[in-house]
Amino acid sequence: MTKQGDLSDRLQADVYWEVVKEALDDAGLSLSDVDGLIGSAPEGLGIRASLPGGAFTDFTGNPLRFHATTNIGASAQSAGMGLAAMAIAHGLASVVVIPTVAAGQAPGYAGADRNDAVARMAQLGSPYEYLWGTTRVADYAVVARRHMHEYGTTEEQLAEIAVAQRLGATLNPLSVNGRRGEITIEDVMTSRPIAEPLKLLDCCLVNQGAGCVVMTRASDVRAQGKHVPVVMLGWGEGHGYLDPCKAPSLAGFEGGRVAADAAFGMAGVTRDDIDVAGISDHFTINVLVELEDAGFCAKGEGGAFVENQATRIGGRLPVNTDGGFLSNSHAGSCGLFTTIELVRQLRHDAGPRQVEGAQLGYAHGVGGVSQVQYGAVYGRA
Amino acid sequence: MADYEKLRPEITPLHEPFWDSVKRHQVELQRCDSCGAFRFIPTELCRCGSAASTWTPIAGTGEVYTYTVVHRAPTPAYQAEAPYVIAHVTVDEGPRMISVVVGCDPTDVHIGMPVTLVYEDVAPDLTLYKFTPAG
Ligand SMILES: [Zn+2]
Repeated sequence: MTKQGDLSDRLQADVYWEVVKEALDDAGLSLSDVDGLIGSAPEGLGIRASLPGGAFTDFTGNPLRFHATTNIGASAQSAGMGLAAMAIAHGLASVVVIPTVAAGQAPGYAGADRNDAVARMAQLGSPYEYLWGTTRVADYAVVARRHMHEYGTTEEQLAEIAVAQRLGATLNPLSVNGRRGEITIEDVMTSRPIAEPLKLLDCCLVNQGAGCVVMTRASDVRAQGKHVPVVMLGWGEGHGYLDPCKAPSLAGFEGGRVAADAAFGMAGVTRDDIDVAGISDHFTINVLVELEDAGFCAKGEGGAFVENQATRIGGRLPVNTDGGFLSNSHAGSCGLFTTIELVRQLRHDAGPRQVEGAQLGYAHGVGGVSQVQYGAVYGRA
Repeated sequence: MADYEKLRPEITPLHEPFWDSVKRHQVELQRCDSCGAFRFIPTELCRCGSAASTWTPIAGTGEVYTYTVVHRAPTPAYQAEAPYVIAHVTVDEGPRMISVVVGCDPTDVHIGMPVTLVYEDVAPDLTLYKFTPAG
């Protein structure tokens, strides 16, 4: 992954190839080995955006055998790893690249203009929401408020999630917020209100950045001997109610449960077996609700779960050890950064933020306002 | 009536009867001809599978299911009114509807608060529905 922050002075396509080549190099592979792609080709003219597979082949000279996209919003690329794994397992591809790149003068949430990003994201709902001046923060604030009402969850419990992740970011030199230093629950509580009960430090970053994952057969990784293979053991998607007026409850998201149950069922492991997790954290409330919906604690017990510092490095279940979207990076299909950090942890390459002896990791990501979700179990093989 | 600078609804034929009813200051929601359930937002199909529905007036009363007080708005036109309250309201007929809560201090809004629908003609061609504390 690149430096995360403002990449508006760079060409998106240059950054794209930089991270793709960096990831391939790390894997001991080269561009000509690639025969599969998840998601977009680098930005370019004309029809390039519509036919990413062909666009990619223009640069490799080696026709791709596989291309796919998923529609899980900010987790589209990380969820797409499930499709990549299926393609590889069925012999449809042998080396699949999964990049995400937010750089250059892109409009909207891939750009560096915060006002434009906020305005555009506000309209990623139905007119019956954005008419009233909703923002993504407001979309999640109503979830937080309902959760607090039903289960007694407190703003301090939400704040602990931000504190825990900032600790990780301070140990992550590539993160955006690490250099800003540690924060306290008091800092979060006194940061300015954005959409009550969510405050500035409950919210993710708005930044650019890029990263890439390479997937291939574990046996090939092992034969090559460069890295301990990190294997996808299970994967699942869950597509819940799109319209908030149609959802039976706004204190959680059924898609999360469906996705996690599928992933754990396929992996044949339990929640208690997980050593480290990456949970989409566009806002602090996401982590709390997703931990519940993914089954790491009972519904309504997320507050108590995070309160005793369980999600910090060294806690019962370290979560988003790189700082997450709150403090590391919230660029492009940012769920991919969640996966990149889990790979580092399971390779035991996470340096000062290493979760000791991590063998099993769980990634959980959301799209939209968490209506659509995915879960994946990864293991050190 | 100054130019309306906030976001406007996208009104396709499916949604037109709803917005027409708002313009008449008497909200109507689709009621399923088969199972009798009201639904919102307007959709082509009831969950029971029936496509047949009748636009039916609702009482316009309900209670706050959840809400937020927005301080950081999406555009300058909305920011001019911040802080404002956006609430999801369960109306007596069953569905939840989203709108702003007007006519009270934001700190007075709470989950369970009884509210009623009010109407505001914001432009010659656009009327909006909002909530205000009941009674
Ligand atoms: Zn029906």
